[in-house]
This record gives sequence, structure tokens and C-alpha cells, in this order.
Amino acid sequence: MTLLLLYLLALLDGVLCGLRTSMGRNARIGKFWYYARATVRGLLGAQIVSTIALGVLLLVALISPHSGELRIDLEESAGRMLRIFLPYAALVLGSLALRAIPSTDIRSASSVIFLGPLTALRPLVMIVGVGYGISESRLWETRALGLVILTLMLSLEYALNRWMARIQAKQIAKLVPLEHSPKQLIRL
Amino acid sequence: MHYAQTVLSCWNPDQPEITDLIVRHNPRTLEREPVRKQEVLEVFQGFGNRQAVRAIAKLPEWDGMLVETAVDRTMLAIHWEMQRLSEEFYHGDRVWEILRAAVKTLRKTGFLDKIRITDIGCGIGYTPRLLASRVSAREQGLEFTGVDLNSTLIREATRLAEADRLGCKFFHGDAFSQELAGNIMMSTGVIHHFRGADLEEFLRRHERKETQMFFHFDFQPWFLAPVGSWFFHQLRMRTAIARHDGVLSAARAHTGKTLVGAARQGAPGFASGIYGARIWNTPAPRVFHTLVGIRRPLVEEFRMQLGHRAGRLDELR
Repeated sequence: MTLLLLYLLALLDGVLCGLRTSMGRNARIGKFWYYARATVRGLLGAQIVSTIALGVLLLVALISPHSGELRIDLEESAGRMLRIFLPYAALVLGSLALRAIPSTDIRSASSVIFLGPLTALRPLVMIVGVGYGISESRLWETRALGLVILTLMLSLEYALNRWMARIQAKQIAKLVPLEHSPKQLIRL
Repeated sequence: MHYAQTVLSCWNPDQPEITDLIVRHNPRTLEREPVRKQEVLEVFQGFGNRQAVRAIAKLPEWDGMLVETAVDRTMLAIHWEMQRLSEEFYHGDRVWEILRAAVKTLRKTGFLDKIRITDIGCGIGYTPRLLASRVSAREQGLEFTGVDLNSTLIREATRLAEADRLGCKFFHGDAFSQELAGNIMMSTGVIHHFRGADLEEFLRRHERKETQMFFHFDFQPWFLAPVGSWFFHQLRMRTAIARHDGVLSAARAHTGKTLVGAARQGAPGFASGIYGARIWNTPAPRVFHTLVGIRRPLVEEFRMQLGHRAGRLDELR
């Protein structure tokens, strides 16, 4: 159950990363399908990250001399991580829910006061959450797994951002084609 | 609030924004003119603004001139990002909230013709496009237009409007010209670019027979505005120039007093005041405030049409 909850939180984080990295890169007014694709992209990204993490976990469980103890240690660590991640997720979802209130002031305040700072805090929350989770673990395997998962989750937004930046650069290059010499082309 | 050189040179309101200098147009012909990179760099070196110098240094040059293609690509990326901020701040809804009252006022006072709403310095035309997507312009007899001096941004505004099948139109030119001036003139984040005598001259140009009202939305200056703007631009914007100019805009924004003073001096045919300076009549300031100018015979009707929002409007005179 604990691991399932962590997995669901990872998917939610992936969705939000997908949306965040796509924002500001499409100036259409009607962006429903654009954001739908961004959501799927984030979800897939989180799924890939989770699958890699599961693969590493299984591998560690296979080679670890104390695999029975590892399971309990992992679950205890995951439980501690949830104590950080669940309130954070609740705050993010609560801030998003504020946007349902039909007031431009409240809606925009939800960005300024909550969503913006919460986005800024995301890497820190991840580090603190994983750090706290593995701080009392007894096995080095758990600690190593925690660090692998942390690296993967932090890399997700970076990777999605790079991907979207490439797509955006191609779009802009199409809209503003080069009208200069090949030498300039190299510099651009 | 002057943070000036004593705090951060990049927040010094006396300097221009990078985007003011990297694109230059002939004021008469509107033709694009080449920009010497070193000249732009020297402006910001003069202010000791290393952040701006770093951002400009990244722009490619050819024979000492900024490469227009690269500048235009950067400008597009910046304007896409700026639209995201407008979306996040529900700017279109805020504009329509006040324009709806303006349109009703004109209709109630016997204005039967098509009402042209002109967005000055519209960039990629987010506001006219959003309004065109929300409001049935044909039914209400409205025409949403945007005007900008930058032809690349106007091309992009037109492309986006066509992609979303919106009825608004965009023009490369002078918004105050005979053909392009509107019955309602508006702008977003433009008015702080006019300083001193230029601000008064900008407002004086509204004194045209056909123009009945103007609404200029811009950052509201207060001591935390540049700090908040910095935080938000760091989080939300990706291009170095957008991050720089966004914060500088907040530092350069005019106070309500300056705006109203210039409007009363430059455009005495309008009753002017500030709309929406405070949140729910508390001392907390809104991020944006609006300079409002209304032809005097329309003032009372406009207040009526604002309904419960009339309390957000300061004295108009």
C-alpha cells in the first residue's frame, strides 16, 4: 500500500512536470489538446522513471544477502517519505482547487502565494522527503535505492524541459526562417 | 520605489529594457533598422548592469550588428512566455471586466456604430485574441484589433488568430494613426516604456474625436513588486532577457499619481483616474493597476455599468 501510494504520487508529479514544462511554449488560446499531450508526456515520463526504479529495486532484492529484511526496511522508509510527500501533494492539489473559485483575484493569488512557491520548493521537498525516508533505514540497499529514485525524479523535469525546449526551438525556427549566410547559420 | 544602483543595478529604473534596444524601427517608415550590438552593450555597461550585458552578449552578431533572425526568435520565445504569465494572472478576464462596462456605457449613451477596441503595442496579441475567443464580437458590434511596431510579432499574432479561427485583426503600424485608432484604446505593460515628457505625449495622442475611452494596464509599483516579480520570473520565464526585463518593468512602473497626473495634463478631454489599485478595498495592492480615461459625459454611466466594481475606481476628473 505504501509503495503504491508513492507510485501514485510519482505519477501525479510527472503529470505536473509535463504541464509545467509545456507552459509558455504555445501561444494559442485553445490549448486543450496541447495540454492533454503534455499530461500524457509527463505521465509516461513518470512511468518510465517508476519502471526503472522498480527494475533497480528488483535487481537489488535479487543480489542482496538480506532480501527479507530489505522489504520491511523499504516499506518503513517509504512510509516516512509519505509523511513529507503527502502533505506537499495535498497543498499542491488544494492550491489547484482554489482555481475553481470564480474570482480572478483568488485564482491569480493561488499562483502567486501557493503554486509558485510550491514549485520552487519541489526539489527541496524531494530531497528532504527521500533524506528523511532513508535516514533511519538499516540497510545500505535501501539508502542506495532512495538516492537512485531521488535522482530519477529530479531528472524527470529536467529531461521533459529539454525535450520541450527542442520542440519549441524547431517551431520558432519554422516561424522565423534564416535569411542569412551559412556562417551566421552556424552561430544561430 | 527606487532600488537603483545601491541595491541591484539590474533593478535601476532609469535604464531602458533590453527589448527596447535590440529591436529598432524607423519612426516614420516603420522599417526595421540594424542595431549595433556594442551600442546596446554600452548602455547597460553604463548602468553597471551585468545581468543585461550577459543576456545581450549571447545574441549573435554579424559585422557588429545584431542578427535580426536571432533577435526575432528570441522575441517570439519571450512573448510566448509572457502570454503564460498573462494566462496565470487571468489578465484577459480582468480586461473584459472593465471593457464590458465600457462597451455597455457607449451603447447606453447612443453610440450605435461598430466599436473598435485597439490594443496598443499588442505584441503577439494575447488580449485581443482572448477577448475574441470569449466575446461574440459580431453580436455586440465590436472589433478587436492589435497594433505593434514589430512586424514579426504582428505576423505571429495573425498566425495565432487564424489557427484559433478568431475574428480579431492585427496591424503593423502606428496605433494612433487615422486608420488604426480605436474608439477604445488600451494597452498592457506598455505605458511604463514612456517616461517624462514622452508619457504626456503618449496620452496626448488619445485626444482624437473617435476615441471615447482608454485603459492602460501596467504593473503597480510598491516596494515588494520587484522582489515578487524577480521570484516569479525566475520560476516561470526561461529566456534571460525575459527574466531581466520582466523585473525591470516592475521597477520602472509608474505610480498611479504619475499616470493620472500625466493623463490630466496630456489628455484633458478625458476624466482620468486609477482602477483596481487595491484588493477588495484592503491596503493590499494588486499586481496590476489600470489608468482609466473616459470622455466626461460618459463618466456617470460608466460608474453605473461597473456595478459592484465601481468601488475599485478612484475619482475620475
